[in-house]
Amino acid sequence: MTPQAKTRIRKIAVYVGLTAAAVVVLFPFFWMIVTSIKQPGQAFTPNIFPENPTLDNFQRVLSEFGFARYFVNSVIVATSAALFATLFAALAGYAFAKKHFFLRDKIFAFLLASLMIPGLMYVVPQFAVINQLGWMNTYRAMIIPHLANVFGLFLMRQYMQTIPSELLEAARIDGAGEWQVFSTIMVPLSIPILATLFLLTFQFHWNNFLWQLIVTNLERLYTVPVGLALFRSQHEQSYTLIMAGSCISVLPIAAIFFFAQRYFIEGMTMGAVKG
Amino acid sequence: MQEGLEAREATQGSRSAGPRRPSRGLRPARVRENLSAYMFIAPFMIIFGVFLAYPVFYSLYLALHRVPTDSFDVFGSLRFVGLANFQLLFSDVKFWWSVLMTLYYAALIIPAGIAVSLTLALLLNNRLKAVAFYRSAFFMPYVLDMLVIGIVWTLIYSPHVGILVRILESVGITAFSERGFLGMPSTAMPAVVLTNVLKGAGFGMILYLSAIQNIPQSLYEAASIDGASGWQRFRSITLPLVKPITFFMVIIGTISALNAFVEVYAMTGGGPNVDVGGRALGATWVTGYYVFDTFYNQFRLGYAASMSYVLLALTLVVTFVNRHFLGAEEER
Repeated sequence: MTPQAKTRIRKIAVYVGLTAAAVVVLFPFFWMIVTSIKQPGQAFTPNIFPENPTLDNFQRVLSEFGFARYFVNSVIVATSAALFATLFAALAGYAFAKKHFFLRDKIFAFLLASLMIPGLMYVVPQFAVINQLGWMNTYRAMIIPHLANVFGLFLMRQYMQTIPSELLEAARIDGAGEWQVFSTIMVPLSIPILATLFLLTFQFHWNNFLWQLIVTNLERLYTVPVGLALFRSQHEQSYTLIMAGSCISVLPIAAIFFFAQRYFIEGMTMGAVKG
Repeated sequence: MQEGLEAREATQGSRSAGPRRPSRGLRPARVRENLSAYMFIAPFMIIFGVFLAYPVFYSLYLALHRVPTDSFDVFGSLRFVGLANFQLLFSDVKFWWSVLMTLYYAALIIPAGIAVSLTLALLLNNRLKAVAFYRSAFFMPYVLDMLVIGIVWTLIYSPHVGILVRILESVGITAFSERGFLGMPSTAMPAVVLTNVLKGAGFGMILYLSAIQNIPQSLYEAASIDGASGWQRFRSITLPLVKPITFFMVIIGTISALNAFVEVYAMTGGGPNVDVGGRALGATWVTGYYVFDTFYNQFRLGYAASMSYVLLALTLVVTFVNRHFLGAEEER
């Protein structure tokens, strides 16, 4: 066999392997979509392409079973949480990156140490705090407890440290106040990291099922995952409807990922590579 | 250090302090700089304090208390019980079983996750046309909701009619038809793990891929000249040089096993039960799920809090042990 033929065979083998892996990884999503457009009662037909595909399931879950409301709730919660978490991380990140203040490095080390604590640890006491504040069944209970994103602060500080301090100096000499320095110099120069953090926190809150389940028991406040989980426990056999609800839950994030995957991939792997 | 610097400058008599010049302790400019910095970190620190720092201590308080079973006013009637929750925990078979299941879960998911991620990275590390497509395809599930992915897989795994059972039946395997993969104690945990590995592999893949692409090509060329086979090159060049990533994968794999909840909630609810010495224990009853069950279904906050403290201790031990025995972090 010539070396060229060998490389070609190798290349074909790699393509076959990758394609097989992609089929396995993507099959559940394909199957979810296919099942969601099947006729009720045909949920378990093994056909790859459904007979008489229909959008009725989507219409039913959206109007009859309240998923339209859940969707709006998810958008409200995820958007406002992402907005404020990004803003707070940017404000604090600026101070930690560019200012000298009493106990700065100690506070930062303390914040980083908190990353070691397993997330599950917070669930019970955070619930207790929400209860004592009287915030049960409110949007703020779903949003506010997660606005201090330590990992986001870390990313923000790392990025802002690379912005030359001379730029800030120049602005101060021109008479800019602290807020102006932040909003007219730091923010525009940090757009990529702001976008990354916004998308990551949006995704986190969109998927934050456990917390949203715990702090709400009023149907009008359910987010999509919570609504979906409770719908499933009541209509265990309606798989065409459950899959339509599932599509409503994951397709927005999938779409955002499709257009902004660079930010997702870089943001999510940054901590591992640099940290 | 800051203070020392200031003191030195002060003794040098730098009186013409510009806006940035460090100056003696309470110079207005210095106070202003400190104040403005604190204003910038205030929103973050307040939220951090109320919802992240305080709860850790409050959780300890809860762990030392119990809600009387006849009370509806949960927080008004907490009763101090000392270490009784912890005592109960140490003799709770269901808890130790959950720790065992968590270890089992970790023992399956870590090697499987590493193997799949590394394989995908090696496949992608070729000059191919469609690299970008495959990369996104493998990474996408990682950003999606575990709950939904678990629900979809429940459909795929279901007994009698599920697509996976049908496919296996078509090649003559009927062992899983009756109860499905999630209904049998022996396959429930591996099935949950498979779902999770396929969801998360893209993340590890990206890490491995960037590490592999940082390896100088000259190393491989030198090895080839010395007659090393492909496998030997992988064993003695690639594998040692991606060790930091492997180390990282072990750590996050362990931590995510200790926090595993949504996948179990979505797919098995901790079951199916197995008979262990006359007790019915769940084949996927991981500690994370037990914490949730104690808290959400039984509303025993004190007990759940004490459990989460043991979880914290385990996490710290595991991280510590990993650091010492895998000790690759210095290389990063």
